[in-house]
Amino acid sequence: MTFLRRAAGALRALVRRRRTESELDDEVRAYLAMAVDEKIRAGMSHDAAVRAARAEIGSLEAVKDHTRDVGWESVLDTFAHDVRHACRGLRVRLGVSTAAIAMLGLGIGITTAMFTVVDALILRPVPFHEPEQLASMYMGNERGGQTTVSPAVFRAWRESRAFAAVESAEPDTALLEAGDTVVSRRIARVSPGLFGLLQNVRPVHGRLFDPQDGRSGLDDRVLLSEDVWRGLFGADPGIVGRRVTVDGESLMVVGILPADFRFPSWNTVLWRPINFDAPPRATDRARVYVRFRADVPRPDAIRLAEGAARAADATTAKLFPRVTPVAGLVLDSYYQGAVPLLAGGVVLVFIVLCANVCSLLLASVTARRREFSMRATLGARRIRLFRHALVESSVIGACGMALGIGFAWVLVLASRVFLPEAFLLRTLNPLNIDLRALAVTSVSGVLATFSAGLLPAWIATQARAGDSLRVLDRGTIGTHGTRRITRGLLVVEIGLACTLLAGATVLVRSFVNLAGAPRGIDTHGVLHVTLTMPPETMPDATARVLAARTIEEQVRELPGIERVAWSYGLPPSGSFSWGDWISDLPGGRTVDMEVDRYSVGPEFLALYGIPVLRGRTFVQSDRYGTVIVGERFAAALWPELDPVGRSFTFGRERFHVVGVAREIHHPSMVAARDRPEFWEPFEGVGRFTMMSIRCSAGCPDPAVVHHRIAASQTGARVFDVREMDEVYFEQLARPRAAAALGFAFAGIATLAAAGGLFSVLSYAVARRRREFGIRTALGASPVEIRRVVVRDGARVAAVGAGVGLFGALALTRTLASLQYGVETTDLSTWVIVFGILGLTAFASVWRPSREAMRVDPALLLREE
Amino acid sequence: VGAEKQSGLVQGTLDMLILKTLALEPMHGYGIGVRIEQISNGVFQVNAGSLFPAFRRLERDGLIKGEWHDTENSRRAKYYALTAQGRARLRRDTREWETQTAAIARILHATTGEL
Repeated sequence: MTFLRRAAGALRALVRRRRTESELDDEVRAYLAMAVDEKIRAGMSHDAAVRAARAEIGSLEAVKDHTRDVGWESVLDTFAHDVRHACRGLRVRLGVSTAAIAMLGLGIGITTAMFTVVDALILRPVPFHEPEQLASMYMGNERGGQTTVSPAVFRAWRESRAFAAVESAEPDTALLEAGDTVVSRRIARVSPGLFGLLQNVRPVHGRLFDPQDGRSGLDDRVLLSEDVWRGLFGADPGIVGRRVTVDGESLMVVGILPADFRFPSWNTVLWRPINFDAPPRATDRARVYVRFRADVPRPDAIRLAEGAARAADATTAKLFPRVTPVAGLVLDSYYQGAVPLLAGGVVLVFIVLCANVCSLLLASVTARRREFSMRATLGARRIRLFRHALVESSVIGACGMALGIGFAWVLVLASRVFLPEAFLLRTLNPLNIDLRALAVTSVSGVLATFSAGLLPAWIATQARAGDSLRVLDRGTIGTHGTRRITRGLLVVEIGLACTLLAGATVLVRSFVNLAGAPRGIDTHGVLHVTLTMPPETMPDATARVLAARTIEEQVRELPGIERVAWSYGLPPSGSFSWGDWISDLPGGRTVDMEVDRYSVGPEFLALYGIPVLRGRTFVQSDRYGTVIVGERFAAALWPELDPVGRSFTFGRERFHVVGVAREIHHPSMVAARDRPEFWEPFEGVGRFTMMSIRCSAGCPDPAVVHHRIAASQTGARVFDVREMDEVYFEQLARPRAAAALGFAFAGIATLAAAGGLFSVLSYAVARRRREFGIRTALGASPVEIRRVVVRDGARVAAVGAGVGLFGALALTRTLASLQYGVETTDLSTWVIVFGILGLTAFASVWRPSREAMRVDPALLLREE
Repeated sequence: VGAEKQSGLVQGTLDMLILKTLALEPMHGYGIGVRIEQISNGVFQVNAGSLFPAFRRLERDGLIKGEWHDTENSRRAKYYALTAQGRARLRRDTREWETQTAAIARILHATTGEL
């Protein structure tokens, strides 16, 4: 009962706050008046009575304040009061509060945005039901070679007890037509049950595939991604049941899948059914996806799968099923190195910004000591002042958080647009700011608020009643501690900025080295086409050669085409052979190495600007067994000898060398990818071939080339048309993004540290004006005064740089996997880092030191 | 600050003293302070800084009730009076207090022989 009554009282008090307040005021005044009356009655004069009564009662405001503190609702009440007061204060000190809010917002924003990226790439499992049971399957051998699962094995696995479900998805490219627009998009041919295997897939409109879809007569069904539906078909609500043109075929749309559904690749936007009950096409390179059974242990399942595969298909009997978890599909070694490192970089930036806000608030509260001690004198208790200071920084924190969310949203949006797709989007998770990201925002906001606000609040409220009456501004009473803390924070900031700078320098230099590394091949203005020639339409080599000729003619008719060359294998990777290569030198020099082999048409080397250094290039009459070797291959087999006219053996085959071509390189963080190569004549046309096209001026749009080949009606299927530059560019995309991000982080941290140094020194100079004035009056030259300030700044910067050196050494060691052509202990890295740091420090010291130099003692005296 | 420091008056005790004062007759804030000082022969000097929070507390708990009246000097003042709950609380607190003080007194005056 008492509790209810109290609650009612509290509510009443909250509702009738204003009345209660004025009543309290009246009551306290009446009290004072009565005390005065009493004293007059006792014989005091009116004035003396008032004085005595006031002395007895103390501050009326303090009495009211204590009274207001009664009851739990008073906490809310005073909190609201504090917030209002804090907002007023922030408006008054607009400069400081804007800077603090902006810095916190920046820190929280980039932390949230980076978390969103890391979450999508690494932390979050793929967005399907029980993702750990999902895997992609290949058949492979011990040496790492692998091949796709044959249809026979696929069917056998469906019947075995090893898996809960076995489905297939085959990535492909197709031309989509909508009105006059023709675009090339990534599509996938999937077995109808794939969505059931993944689970949690719901169409936005229409339905998913039925089991019958894909059977003859029902194979013209298609599912579109929401992106395509909105982008190409204007979000037409009646599209389900309508027909669209894909690769010239008219297909019926049965459903729209949400934009967030990404499978089997992040950029798949269209799905067609494949029918595994129909006789398989030999060109199918379907990837098999399985869901393991929860009740069968994984090793048993794999053993079952292996047995079933052996029994079903003799051609792959020597191979083993290889399991790649879907959850780990996107995480190669580069991601594993780069993403946590960048996330760590963000944390460092966050710390720097918090430290900066902290020192900013510290400077602001030290300047306000007078205000705090005045309030202490008027009866405010320390806890009250402390709470007040904390509320003030919480208001800053809350504003920073709001700004941070907005900023993160913009960043994520911008990163989706500007950052290379290869870096950000190669994940099956959508890249959105979700609840998890917002949780990170709030946690980082609270962390920032407390780490930046607690210390200043504590120091500000050390003010004692009466301090305000002393002259505080002149001396340095109680500010030594503050000074030390501010310098400490600065050292931390500069140290972290130094660490980040070192990391960024290594990343940027690696990228520059990687981008500038000689590749020995001119890819600018080259398109390449990847084609498959299905045996249904082209049963033999003659048919394929004929088709190739037609396609080549069609392509040559396009404007601005200079050269066309067929090949199997395209730089930077050919077909990959490893084993013992035996030269014809006496004793048979044997070298065990991995080699890239390229089968190329006569014009190929000229097309890519690869000069033949010795011997001759290919002619039409060259047959299999004739080769042109690269320099490294030549040097390995015939050290310091001319290989032209010599031969070598690999396996049971013998190859004759007719020329030596300049070595081509594949600059990569993984050195093993840059293999020696040799060239063979392109003979016949295989089922899977590539065509390179050099254009004289601008290349035609890849979609135009794709369309042209598709229109040639040869039955060949275009898998992909791309600019060669883009292929190499994509190889660089991630190092470039990492370098750009690292550079941005280091830039923010350095600027923040410089700003911190600047404001701290300016503040110190403002405080020491008297001292400088006196020194000048006593004969110190302006240069000497300036030296005092510069030395002050330089000392902080030097200590910070020293701290940063250790951090940087630790960091660059973990950077090793992302380095290219840069040594950790590289002198020039340190020259760059300390150069930037020195320049920034100098720039931030410049103005404060000039201010100090210009202190005029005469003017100072007059001010006093 | 405050009277409780000067005289070692604990918070609950001040509440009890106020209730007792009001049990005699309804009274305004200043009068209550003076009355406590008078009755205690000046041992307890209760400051406004302690009185007003106590009034607020007691009123919130429904033990006392305030009403504005004119004083004999024709000022307006808030007169507090005990409610039924206040009266009950005073009885309970007085009983408890007496039991406790008696016990404490016995302990303080105990001699070795008694243990």
